[in-house]
Amino acid sequence: MSGNHRCLRALALALVFAALPFTDAFAHCFVGARFFPATLAVDDPCVADELSLPTISWSRTADMPPATEWDVSAEISKRITADFGISIGETWKQIRGPGGPTMAGFDNLETTAQYQLLKDNSHELAMLLGLIVDWGGTGASNSGIATPYSVFTPTYYFGKGLGDLPDSAGWLRAFAVTGQIGYQVPSRSFDLVQQALIPQVLAWGGSIQYSMPYLKSEIQDLQLPDFINHLIPIVEFQMSTPAANNLGNSPITTGTINPGVIWVGSYFQVGLEAQVPVNHASGTGVGVLGQLHLYLDDMFPKTIGQPLIGGTGAAPQQLKF
Amino acid sequence: MRKFLTLVPLLCIALAPVAARAHAFLDHASPLVGSTVPAAPHEVVMTFTQNLEPAFTTAQVTDSSGARVDQGKAQVSGNTMTVGLKALGPGSYKVHWHALSVDTHTTEGAFTFHVGGK
Repeated sequence: MSGNHRCLRALALALVFAALPFTDAFAHCFVGARFFPATLAVDDPCVADELSLPTISWSRTADMPPATEWDVSAEISKRITADFGISIGETWKQIRGPGGPTMAGFDNLETTAQYQLLKDNSHELAMLLGLIVDWGGTGASNSGIATPYSVFTPTYYFGKGLGDLPDSAGWLRAFAVTGQIGYQVPSRSFDLVQQALIPQVLAWGGSIQYSMPYLKSEIQDLQLPDFINHLIPIVEFQMSTPAANNLGNSPITTGTINPGVIWVGSYFQVGLEAQVPVNHASGTGVGVLGQLHLYLDDMFPKTIGQPLIGGTGAAPQQLKF
Repeated sequence: MRKFLTLVPLLCIALAPVAARAHAFLDHASPLVGSTVPAAPHEVVMTFTQNLEPAFTTAQVTDSSGARVDQGKAQVSGNTMTVGLKALGPGSYKVHWHALSVDTHTTEGAFTFHVGGK
């Protein structure tokens, strides 16, 4: 390659990088060397360009005798700026009682606005604030699938990898935890149909995850089969605790604990979890939750994988060691 | 439900051809991540899952006291980064790397290898 060609190539590269917002660099949930996968039952602690299609769950309700419930949902998340993103999700539900009628239809439309508070690469720490809104009356409220009222849930999310532990911690460094806590405020306080108060609810959950990719690339390459090196075994939990306006309703916490595994690829991930109810009020028997999740920022890095509005617009700094 | 499930593989197939590039993960390294080698290596070779952009991809190697033991700028070719090493004695060494894949996604990481019986 001649000197002129090298100069032209360098110039072209500089123009390309100057044109692309470099904040795209950490799209989906990379925090330093840590990658937090998209979790199935709770949310990961990053804004991102991603598509969950579909998420499918099968479970049996807490009714006696229990009904069978299928949920099929889709959600797309899009960054507006590097640190601010929105998500839109919809769920189709089918509830089939034993010998009884089958109810089916769409749940209310759900939107989420999220702001990335922090990404601390050296400590593998991410924090996020969000507002989840279930828009009342947008689903099949006549059949009892959806509610006629809206629910607003301001939510705090975090993720922390243990990679900043000393090297002597060894394999423990591949662990990470995520969590979220939100407070659900319905737009009505009384349900005229059910003749019951509509409680305000503390919605909380999280995950404990062990990253085989992290183990291989940061701690020790055990030369395991490639499939194993893409796995993230995980236990998620999601809980709801009535907090206010709950007179006459059950006061107990409900939720599930979900052991499972996520296979992480370059462009998508696949997750499968069991859903274990924490008590009789949370369901009957073990359910199943599965998800195909696409990384839009990796699939379409120069189009829809970019934030809609600029980012810093700065060219990347050349790394010097 | 069945029709919906049928759409999933179709969607994957439809999206697969546009899947061009992504974040560059460290696929493997020589010396192996976390390994102990009996003789001092002359270089560290890292192979990534994506092609790298040389101008913005680099690495440094330090000993247990934090002193640099690499020979300067890393060489990048395709999805491989190579950094030469000074003469190493027995001990633990840490490799810090930053990579920019050719579609501007950056990744970073660090790993340790050991020389001798330590």
